[in-house]
Amino acid sequence: MYADTQNDITRQVVRVAQLLLAYGAESDLVEEISQRLGRALGLGSVELSISSNSLVLTSLVHGRCITTTRRIREHGINMRVVCELQRICLLAEKGLYGPNEVRKRVERIRPKTYPAYLVIPMIGLSCASFCHLFGGDWMASVITFVASAIGMSARLFLARRHFNPLVIFSITAFVTTAVAQLGYECPLTKTPELAMAASVLMLVPGFPMINAISDMVKGHMNVGISRWGHATLLTVASVIGITIAMQLGGKFL
Amino acid sequence: MNLLITLINDALFSAIPAVGFAMVFNVPRRFLPYCALAGALGHSFRTLILHFGLPIEWATFAAAALVGTITIAFARRHLAPPLLYAVAAIIPMIPGTYAFNTVIALVQLTAQSQVSPELTGAVISNGLKTVFILGALSVGLALPSLLYFRTRPVI
Repeated sequence: MYADTQNDITRQVVRVAQLLLAYGAESDLVEEISQRLGRALGLGSVELSISSNSLVLTSLVHGRCITTTRRIREHGINMRVVCELQRICLLAEKGLYGPNEVRKRVERIRPKTYPAYLVIPMIGLSCASFCHLFGGDWMASVITFVASAIGMSARLFLARRHFNPLVIFSITAFVTTAVAQLGYECPLTKTPELAMAASVLMLVPGFPMINAISDMVKGHMNVGISRWGHATLLTVASVIGITIAMQLGGKFL
Repeated sequence: MNLLITLINDALFSAIPAVGFAMVFNVPRRFLPYCALAGALGHSFRTLILHFGLPIEWATFAAAALVGTITIAFARRHLAPPLLYAVAAIIPMIPGTYAFNTVIALVQLTAQSQVSPELTGAVISNGLKTVFILGALSVGLALPSLLYFRTRPVI
């Protein structure tokens, strides 16, 4: 293999690994996919070192190493991209895709998201179902639906303007709790506290927490700890929003 | 009969959040029904075990292991990563209320001038439940790959 070819293939493999990490795959999956893709495209071996915000990859062919570093910026979770990259890896492994096809298909990937008019009502319904599962009455579920739908629209609005995730989480928590407190004001429901607890559940950073623990269990200690730290920070940010709303409402403190 | 109605109610109302959060994670549309199925099965299985009097941590662990096994079957069929289904499916089991109660008690504790034993107790017991249920969830989810797929990839 020529040095140029190795360079090109290494760049594609590192691009795939970078995309996987940016869109929220766990470290074990990233390592597995990039090693399999590299071997399928003809590299001797691929070694990765993943840290919280960067990635170092070394490819080895005939005793010649190429090492390259990439910075990773979080883009939010998008399973569509992860799924697509896994597909590309499998196709390359079966021999259907060579380096050129892989490059074309990776370039074509767009992180499509669901439109807001679908996501907002679904999140409202989800939080209303949580309220129902916790034993809240029907009116509490309705209040939860309204509060979390308004909160989710605020979250999408802020996310489109590229605010820091911590700021987004606090403002969303504030808005959601402020609306959910209406359950205390008007005597519609007997379980206003459940409405309040259920409507902020959309802010629980479930994906980062599960990723963090499964990274740590599978031996990627530093990435796991940094993801855990990020998840904790997000939780603290939403707690700050909830607390401010509660203090303004005068319910607890 | 009562148990059956509870289980169906459970399955129905945990399938909705599974789909809702799967949409937040941008799971492709053709996989959404499988997320709903895995979420409904997992949560109603946990309710069934809780009905027989097991503690919630063990029930969550068993339910997460079930979700992990089902999603590996889905993943092998569709050639997609198993976490795609699994994370949306276990969202209904995330200990949100325990976490919420921990934090509220913590905030109330901060606002007071002296430490009160009730609030400290609430922080400790709710916080421990949160951490252990979360641990049970993710270790249960990883169980198939820890026990069975040790040296080979899932797909």
